[in-house]
Amino acid sequence: MNGRRIGVFVCHCGGNISDYVDVAKVREAVRDEPDVVVAETTIFACADATQQDMVQAIRDQRLDGLVVASCSPKLHTFTFRGVAKRAGMNPYLYTQVNIREQDSWAHTDDPAGATEKAIQLVRAGIARTRLSLPLDPIEVETTPKTMVIGAGITGLRAAIGLADIGLGVYLIEREPQLGGWVARFGAMYPHQRKGWELVDQLAAQVRRRPLITVFTSAELTAKSGSFGNYRTEVRINREVPETIQLDVGSIVVSTGFETYEPAVGEYGYGIDGVLTLPEFKALLDSSKGELSYNGRKVSTVAYIYCVGSRQPDGNAYCSRYCCAATVHASLEVARLSAGVQQYHLYRDIRTYGKYELMYTESRERGSVYMKFPEEAPPAVARGADGRLTVTTRDLLTEGAELTIPADLVVLVTGMVPRKNETLMGVLKLPVGSDGFFNEIHPKLRPVETVVDGVLIAGTCQGPKNSSESVASGLAAVTQSAAILKKGVAELDPLVATVDAGACEWCGRCEETCPYAAVSRAHSDGRDVAQIDPAVCKGCGGCAPLCPEGAIDLRGYTDAQIRAMIDRLVEVSTA
Amino acid sequence: MSALAKPGLLSDIKQFGDVDVSACFSCGNCTAVCPLAQSDGTFPRRMIRYAQVGMKDALLSSKELWTCYHCGLCSDTCPTEADPGGFMAAARRYAIASYDRTRLARTMYTRPVLGTGVAILLALFFALFMYASHGPQSAASLALFRFIPEGLIHRAGVVVMVIVALAGLAGIATMALGISRRERSRRQAGDGAARGGLWRALWVAIGVESLGQRRYRADCATVQEERPWYRRRWLIHAATMWGFLGLLLATVLDYGLALLGVKATGSPVAIWYPTRLLGTVAGIALIYGVTMFIVDRLRHDGQAARRSETSDWTLLVLLWITGVTGFLVEIALYLPQAPAWGYWVFLLHVSVAMELVLLAPFMKFAHAVYRPVALYFLARTDQTARGGE
Repeated sequence: MNGRRIGVFVCHCGGNISDYVDVAKVREAVRDEPDVVVAETTIFACADATQQDMVQAIRDQRLDGLVVASCSPKLHTFTFRGVAKRAGMNPYLYTQVNIREQDSWAHTDDPAGATEKAIQLVRAGIARTRLSLPLDPIEVETTPKTMVIGAGITGLRAAIGLADIGLGVYLIEREPQLGGWVARFGAMYPHQRKGWELVDQLAAQVRRRPLITVFTSAELTAKSGSFGNYRTEVRINREVPETIQLDVGSIVVSTGFETYEPAVGEYGYGIDGVLTLPEFKALLDSSKGELSYNGRKVSTVAYIYCVGSRQPDGNAYCSRYCCAATVHASLEVARLSAGVQQYHLYRDIRTYGKYELMYTESRERGSVYMKFPEEAPPAVARGADGRLTVTTRDLLTEGAELTIPADLVVLVTGMVPRKNETLMGVLKLPVGSDGFFNEIHPKLRPVETVVDGVLIAGTCQGPKNSSESVASGLAAVTQSAAILKKGVAELDPLVATVDAGACEWCGRCEETCPYAAVSRAHSDGRDVAQIDPAVCKGCGGCAPLCPEGAIDLRGYTDAQIRAMIDRLVEVSTA
Repeated sequence: MSALAKPGLLSDIKQFGDVDVSACFSCGNCTAVCPLAQSDGTFPRRMIRYAQVGMKDALLSSKELWTCYHCGLCSDTCPTEADPGGFMAAARRYAIASYDRTRLARTMYTRPVLGTGVAILLALFFALFMYASHGPQSAASLALFRFIPEGLIHRAGVVVMVIVALAGLAGIATMALGISRRERSRRQAGDGAARGGLWRALWVAIGVESLGQRRYRADCATVQEERPWYRRRWLIHAATMWGFLGLLLATVLDYGLALLGVKATGSPVAIWYPTRLLGTVAGIALIYGVTMFIVDRLRHDGQAARRSETSDWTLLVLLWITGVTGFLVEIALYLPQAPAWGYWVFLLHVSVAMELVLLAPFMKFAHAVYRPVALYFLARTDQTARGGE
């Protein structure tokens, strides 16, 4: 493609760039570069009006290359690809040059140097664009089915949501019955509906939907294939275990949490009458009439918060749900027997949002809240008279040390990640330092993972209450729909390609590929490497390893990179 | 040292006043706005906290409980409408009942119907007891002591005084020991100021603060300024207190004059005669003060009078009856013809006055001794705090 017609737009970014980079000088320096027919400066390249001007320039000047020198490609790659598309130009003929993050912001002390660097970067960008080729997105047909792993409240609700938008669902549950944690809970905030009633209701809805197939006592054991088309193996643990194959387009992981199990002796755990929050909830939910433990009436309960959460040398995170769950439990106790004295020993109370009302009600019903210092946690002991005592300091009462006689001590234990080595091995999901599955971005892409088409929802991603879990489950439904509802997925064509004629099959590319996109194939009686464009992520890891130089990365070909380097070197030595 | 929490302390205190501080979340607005709270002894937040967490000993050994005059600024300001001022009043009632070991005070406070019954029966008992020894009712002149023998009243009075003194001293000792122990441990912990001079503290507690009502007048003025001067709480309290003390003094002087043979008790004298003049002026002050207190409570006027417990009424009614019957007896004494009702009013006057004195340690009246004790401890820390400035 000799005799290209390239347009260059250099952005002020409203001063972010132009305060340090002489934008006009950059334009002057590149306007006579080979093939450049348009060179402009703009106040904001991303502004609607400027985009219109660019579209107009591309059409009027019949441009077949576009260089925008502005901010990071992370921000506006898709913006300017859109501009190209609207003007009828192939979007891959456009190059983004970053003269903000990598130039003006980094060299505020040296405007002259920054300007020189900008000129070099733009020239390199032009060099790359001169060799750019029109590319088309890779289209992959997708399987309109989703596998949901874990049938707790999140998985159940997600399965229903998926079925309701017309996707087939395989709901895989490791336990023999559905419902997870919520199925064990009694009355829940705010409607006082019982957890098992909610689960029964969801399970009934699942049964009514023919698009959903439920597998209990089932585990995912293998996964292969590529984005939009995964082949999985599921082992069903019956008396005679059986393995079945299921083809799905996406996977929603909603495997939930474990509760923190205190060590024996931690806050008196192990002493009779010292319970964890789930143990206490079970006692409470099974109580009829007044609260009693081991046949004895309970008249004083002491709760110790943040057990196993927010520990400097343990789980550093806050488990979010425990404050509200405990405050709610204390209201349940008050409903059961109004005379029970309840002491809440806390570090911080986090009954955010509407739970604040519950906290107020709990105080009004006589619960006493005492704040202990982090460095002096409460001590639990069984006294000589056989009664449990909790000794604590109350920062709200001049730090006074107080011994509370209690019939029950409840350790408010938080959430910990579930140990699930098999699943992690199969899905290759990354895990954060807290042990929970990692999302791509906590705010912007909260249910997506780096493995395309594998989504995480509910508490396997991090501590959540049940409503937050369901919300994230439904977010995963939406993401699945975005992937699968079109029937085809468009993938970036910026992938590696093999020149079969040059390939001598040494296997290095196959070894290095982190996505298993490379396989050995036959071509003209020879073994050659073959790259599945649907699996390749375009990371470029294979290209430099190839001894024959047979691998090229589309959009970043060796020729393009060399041309960029040549132009940079030429300028800097000049 | 670890204090043992007493679960249920707050609900116990609730029996002493219809207040609910469980909504309190310890923000401390009440303490910040209180004109009397000072760095050495903050309240009401801290007192509420003691009650919430069950620190009974700390609550009862807090002098701060008694340095509050219930101006109500805290209750006006409280964001959770927990009525800290009302709580302080209830906690004082609880303290009076706790300093008293006979549990009579507790009964009087927590079982108002029974308490009122006891009060009425006790007055009836005194009346019957004295009437049992009655003599003739002279129609020519009001010969009160021929009707009820003076010696009988005197001896009964002495017995009542001894009982009251013993009960009162026991209460004061319980309270003073508690506060003193607490203040000592606070000083040892480096929290709170060292002790100041004893005599000066006594003067400040009894003279300046109790009789002079310095803080009551000056520091709690914010809320009172909204009222005309003659209806301000400090003034009607002063009228009541000084009226009561004036009457007590006039009675003692009258008795002394009788012992010296100058003038027989109950014999008519001119209006300017010193003891009669003192008695009359003091009586007017007492009736004015008590009447205004009653009016405030009937109108629910001001935070302190917004809610009235039976115990508030018992004290006011007994004082009012004592004052008014006293005046009626005086009028009867100076009428040209002795009216028959004069003798019956006299019997009522003596019975109620005796009951008032006897019940003093077991009812609201007890604040008259507990407040000065607390103010004494406050003055001792106060002086050193000022000396250090």
